[in-house]
Amino acid sequence: MIQLADPTGDLATEVRVTLFSVAAATGRVPQAPELARTLQRSESDVRAALRQLAAARALILAPNDGDIWAASPFCAVPSAFRVSALGRLYFGICIWDALGIAAAIDAAADITAPCGDCGAPMRLEIRDGALARTEGVVHFAVPAARWWDNIGFT
Amino acid sequence: MLLFRDEEHVDRWCAAREIRRGAVVSLDQAWRLAHGWYRDKAKPFWRRHTVGEAEALFKEVGLSGPFWSLRG
Repeated sequence: MIQLADPTGDLATEVRVTLFSVAAATGRVPQAPELARTLQRSESDVRAALRQLAAARALILAPNDGDIWAASPFCAVPSAFRVSALGRLYFGICIWDALGIAAAIDAAADITAPCGDCGAPMRLEIRDGALARTEGVVHFAVPAARWWDNIGFT
Repeated sequence: MLLFRDEEHVDRWCAAREIRRGAVVSLDQAWRLAHGWYRDKAKPFWRRHTVGEAEALFKEVGLSGPFWSLRG
């Protein structure tokens, strides 16, 4: 069952607000060293806050180095789910997050993604808060209650 | 969650990986779901949806049944 705990620590909130603000404004997800410099806190404190935010499912940490993999819907690394908006390029970890980026930044957006089966390029457009160009269907492979069993495969 | 050209491509993808087909939703449903889920995510006042709120969103978008239950 999905846990609902929200981060309540002040630093966790500061980190969340800062990193999502930067991600939305630039398309780039800032990592712990940059967040530490921006907030004038130690990197270890910021990493602890990031772990707290990950536990609360506000973001996803990479399994090995603990860096941010995605401040969902903003993916920290390039992916096949590309969102062009506001003159910038954003990445989502899946098609839902690509759509979510357009929602989070509340802007016209062009989304390109490959067909999961054949790899054919597909294109969606968001204009005025609605789908203006659409093709294909979306497949959820895993029931909602199990998404967080492995958030990398849903 | 992946995008596919059509349901035939979904079935082929599932068969190739020997996984059971999950739920296929329209792009309109996916957009409304993403919008409801993420529209406040970058805002300072954001908080996680409660289970009830998330299930209400699923229902509003037309997604119901065991696949969309969060209480499993």
